[in-house]
Amino acid sequence: MLDTTRVQKELVECNRDTAISGVSIDLHDGANLTHLCGSISGPLGTPYEGGTFIIDIQLPSDYPFEPPKMQFITRVWHPNISSQNGAICLDILKDQWSPALTLKTALLSLQALLSAPAPDDPQDAVVAQQYLRDYQKFVGTARHWTDTFAKIATVGIDEKVSKLVEMGFPEELARSVLEAVKGDENAALEKLCSG
Amino acid sequence: MADSQRKRVLCKYFVHGACFKGEYCEFSHDWKDQSNNACTFYQKGLCSFGSRCRYDHVKVSCGQAHVPLPLSNARPCIGTGSIQAIHPSNVLLNGECQPSTSSLAEFSVSSKHIFPFSKPAWAQFPDLSVNEDYPLGHDPAAYSLADQPICSFAAAGSCSHGERCPHIHGDQCSICKKHCLHPYRPDEREEHIQLCQKNNQHLEALRFSQDIECSVCLDRVLSKPTPAERKFGILSECDHPFCISCIRNWRSNCPSIGMDVNSTLRACPMCRKLSYFVIPSVIWYSTSEEKQEIVNNYKAKLKTIDCKYFDLGNGTCPFGSSCFYKHAYRDGRLEEVVLRHLDAEDGSIVIAKNIRLSDFLNNLHL
Repeated sequence: MLDTTRVQKELVECNRDTAISGVSIDLHDGANLTHLCGSISGPLGTPYEGGTFIIDIQLPSDYPFEPPKMQFITRVWHPNISSQNGAICLDILKDQWSPALTLKTALLSLQALLSAPAPDDPQDAVVAQQYLRDYQKFVGTARHWTDTFAKIATVGIDEKVSKLVEMGFPEELARSVLEAVKGDENAALEKLCSG
Repeated sequence: MADSQRKRVLCKYFVHGACFKGEYCEFSHDWKDQSNNACTFYQKGLCSFGSRCRYDHVKVSCGQAHVPLPLSNARPCIGTGSIQAIHPSNVLLNGECQPSTSSLAEFSVSSKHIFPFSKPAWAQFPDLSVNEDYPLGHDPAAYSLADQPICSFAAAGSCSHGERCPHIHGDQCSICKKHCLHPYRPDEREEHIQLCQKNNQHLEALRFSQDIECSVCLDRVLSKPTPAERKFGILSECDHPFCISCIRNWRSNCPSIGMDVNSTLRACPMCRKLSYFVIPSVIWYSTSEEKQEIVNNYKAKLKTIDCKYFDLGNGTCPFGSSCFYKHAYRDGRLEEVVLRHLDAEDGSIVIAKNIRLSDFLNNLHL
């Protein structure tokens, strides 16, 4: 059984100072405490600056004795995060987990991971190779991905719908496709073109 | 003296292991002395148990009775005249017990003045014989003050008699604020103060422990719903507080992903320092000495419990000589640990635990 009192305490504690810490957690769907949605702001001075990254959090029934399952929903270009499915390579989410860690500390660790990549222990080999061989190109790609995927939230969905309508798609269809891909403009365009 | 005679009678309470007076008891605590087994009801003429009474139905004359019948004083020696001074309050009410001399009458009237530290009824007899030896007006406070009990009402809280109470009122204990320190028994005072200090320390520690949170469940340990959960699990190597159930859960966790038992699970969740055992405790400690005391008490307690692996010699315990539990055979003999020393080829000495044939075959280079 999931220790719900602890999770509730953690949520209150984490959302108390979101402005300072830059991390926050929300319920993913209604009253289900096992499925949460975290968000972290990209650390300053990195290619991820200015972006907001959404992380899917699944709590196993043995939490906090087992680590939470975390995965990036927002696409991110980083040696330790899969560019394909957002899987994270971080020791504290695996064998170095400790029950004294919380969701907040885990999210802060992810924020730290964004500012200090570990290319020697990569999750995404392509990104890691680029990081090691051509750092400038890596920074460019990472910044581009941040601008493209991590800043969508700042643009309202109506604006995106009107953009697609200008391109010649019917408004109803544009809106439904945009909602299906969670507001990802490029994915919606791809889908509309292929469909 | 009556006191010395009384000392020869075995204390009834002592026989049942329930005498609280210890060395201050007026009766003998020596098993060689005879107990007074005369039935007090029979003395008064009626014992409802009749022949089934566990006490002796013998007539004891009052003259002798005041020594061997200390508990028969509920109605002391009515009509015999051999003992005349009774409990001061009884004297005037009791028609048969006429004061024979004027001095005795004076004694009875002014007894409260003369005996400010009057003893309870059962302790009156020595005063009687004393009364014969010492002239009236002699201050009884000069002798046997240490033998007089203190007022139990005052000790428990308040005595309705206040200043006029015939018993000694104990001094106030500065810690528990009760008037329970006997002014003339230094040993007893010392003992009470020490006990009070110990209790006080425990209370202080308990108050301090109330606010301590477990880092795993984020609850205050002593505010958990069930009493079994309201316990700390102290790690041997560091000072981070957890509740016993949380830390035991973590250490006995079987994680689905590859967490290492010896490096991750045995480590403190906070500082990752390895601890080899967890000590349950109802209070948290503030100094390392207190921690050591808790650990020692715990180990001492476990040492009295038979090890289930050793099983009175029928089984083997994987922890061997370092097991915390008792390794004793059925006849009470403790296990003797004999270490086998093996001389290795390079001259060093190895302590062998289990000797396997393969240990020797390896050296044969077959």
